[in-house]
This record gives sequence, C-alpha cells and structure tokens, in this order.
Amino acid sequence: MAKSALKKTFLTPLGKENPVFVQILGICSTLAVTNKLQNTLVMTLGVMFTTALSSWTLSLMRNRIPSRIRMMVETMVIATYVIIVDIVLKAFYPDMWKQLGPYVGLIITNCIVMGRVEAFALQNKPLASLVDGLASGLGYTYVLMAIAFVRELLGTGSLWGYRILGTWWTNWSIMVMPPGGFFMLAIFIWVVREIVLKEKKHV
Amino acid sequence: MSNKSDSFFSKRLYPLLFMLLVTVVCILATSGLYLGTQTKALANELSFTRKAVLDAAQISYQASQAGIEQAFTTSIIEQDGYYETTGTASKRYVVPLEGPGLWGKISLMVGFEDDMTTFSGVAIVSQNETPGLGARIEEAWFTAQFQGKRAPFSMVEEGTADADNEIDAITGATRTSEYFKTLVDQAPSTAKLIVRGQ
Repeated sequence: MAKSALKKTFLTPLGKENPVFVQILGICSTLAVTNKLQNTLVMTLGVMFTTALSSWTLSLMRNRIPSRIRMMVETMVIATYVIIVDIVLKAFYPDMWKQLGPYVGLIITNCIVMGRVEAFALQNKPLASLVDGLASGLGYTYVLMAIAFVRELLGTGSLWGYRILGTWWTNWSIMVMPPGGFFMLAIFIWVVREIVLKEKKHV
Repeated sequence: MSNKSDSFFSKRLYPLLFMLLVTVVCILATSGLYLGTQTKALANELSFTRKAVLDAAQISYQASQAGIEQAFTTSIIEQDGYYETTGTASKRYVVPLEGPGLWGKISLMVGFEDDMTTFSGVAIVSQNETPGLGARIEEAWFTAQFQGKRAPFSMVEEGTADADNEIDAITGATRTSEYFKTLVDQAPSTAKLIVRGQ
C-alpha cells in the first residue's frame, strides 16, 4: 500500500503532472541553459538535488513552521542548498562552474522548487516529499535534455561538445540564442500535449 | 493569563525564534562548507589565471593543475602588474587586459614578444558572451590566430584571414568580434604602459 503510493508519487511528475510541460514551471531556466547538453545536465542535477533535499528538510519541519513565516523559512532552506551546489561546483568542477556562471544561483528562483514544497512537502511525510522532489527534478531533467539535444545539434552541429554533423552543416544560430529556446519549448509542449497526453479541447 | 502569554509566545516570539534558529543553522552549514573548500577554490582560480598566462606566452604545459603549476614556476616571473618569461629564446611579456564585450566584461591575458608589438598569444580569462556564438572567442582556433601578428587588426569573414594583420571574425557574433578587436588593438599601448611605463 505505502509502496504503491510512493511509486505513484514518483511516477506522476514524470508524466501527467510533469513540472515543465504540464505545470509550466521552471520555464526561465528551460530557456536559458538548454543550448548545450553538458551545461543542461549539470544545471538540472542541481535543480534535482535542491528540490529533493529542500522538500525533505521542510517536510521534516512542517509541523513546527509557523504558517505566517513559512515562505521565509522555505526560501532560507532552498537558498542554503543552492549555495551548497554553487560551492561544490566551484571547488570541484571549476570549468563547469565558470560556464554556468549566474545560472546556478538562479536555481533558487526556479518555481519548481518552491512549488513542490508548497504543494506537496508541507502536507506529506519526509520520505514521500523526498521522492516527490526527486521525481519532479527528474521530470524537469529529461524535458530539458530533450530540448538541449535538438538545440545543440541544430545550433552548433555537435552533441556534448563533439562535432556530429559534417562541415556541410550550416549552424542554425537562432537555436543557441534565447528565441531558439522559446521555439523548442513551445513545439515540445504542443507535441506532448497533443499526441501523448491527448488533451481534450475546450469547446 | 496563561492563555494570553501563550498566545503572545506562539504569535510573536515563536516565529521570531524559529526564524532565527533556521537562519543560524543555514549560515553555519554554508559558511562551514565555504571555509572547508576555500583553499581548493582559490587554487582553482589561481591555476586558471596561470594557465591563461602560459597560453599567452606560448609555453607548453601538461593539462593538469600540477602541470600548470610546474610550467609556471619554471618559466614565468611575476612582476608588478605583468608577467615575463624566463628560459625562452627572447623575453616575452604577458599583460592582463579587460574591456567590454557584448553582454559583460571580457578579461584577457595578452602575450608579446620582446619588441612589445608582435603578439605571442591571447588567452581568455573570463567572458560572458552568447554561448555558441560570441563565446567561441574561447575556442583555440580563434585565440591561436593572434600568434605572430601585429595590431591594428582587421576582422575578416570567418575562414578567409591570410594577411599579417587579418583575423577571422566569428560568424554570427559580429558585435563580439568588434569588441574583441577594440580590446586587442589597444593591447600594445597598454602593455608598453604597464611594462615600460611609457
């Protein structure tokens, strides 16, 4: 019983409650970091780490947090985890840290993190909250990786920094610039909702 | 009475104390981690600058922190505001340089032969240009072009540079290329000012 509930908690953010293409959360970073697979992966891992652990931590404290100051507490905890990601990257992956620049710090403004805390962690047990945060991060990760795959391939002719397409390929510069992110995200949401989720039309 | 103090405590004092406690715990955790990794972070930064100096001076090194360190200590002398090489056929000078790019500051290390006019190399320390377009100034083919050339440069279409002062611009990053040209064009005079004080 408990196991199947956890499984459901894990699976919904991956599919029909996906934070990006269903809840439309965390869009700013979707547009900003998806022009290279490598950066995208590190960024999404950072988001996954932050979402999972802040959900877990805040769920542990949920019965003690005075509801009037809960947003302050949430921000404080989330900011702490984001700074941890930043410090660890700076110390152990300096090249990656340099490339991501300000985006790591901006994880804190990612709506998925606070959204999952408010909507889930404050009403559920720590383990379930951890699973929910992790799955939401994972749901975010695969959508962003899919978008980054197309943008890097078409925009620079390479994948993961390695040249895939020959010299005959003319780079679609628009793909690596912010508008490319808008186009790809819109197309992605449209295709998924239309074909996979078969969303009913409002008449 | 007790009811009243209860409500004062739970309404006013408790939230304050709770927030204070959370803040202190969070600050302790982050500053502990910061202090714990500080030496490593500083070493990374230093190694990054040194790598740029070596690149600009055209001195080869093994691509690891230890390799960079070793090459730097054997062939570079750090002077006030600039670097000079030792053990090369003729002295080379490396000066730090920074200026505006399209989105933010571009910081460079620019190396010169001992005539202070011919470039021995250019290396990017930090930049904030458009990834995939302007950020390609970091790619080796772009920075390698400056070796043995003299300012003022003229930016030509990507893949067509052949004269002594021609540099391939980056397709799709005209503005970044122009900012970069402005920056390297003023490099010789800045370098002379720093190294010789004239």
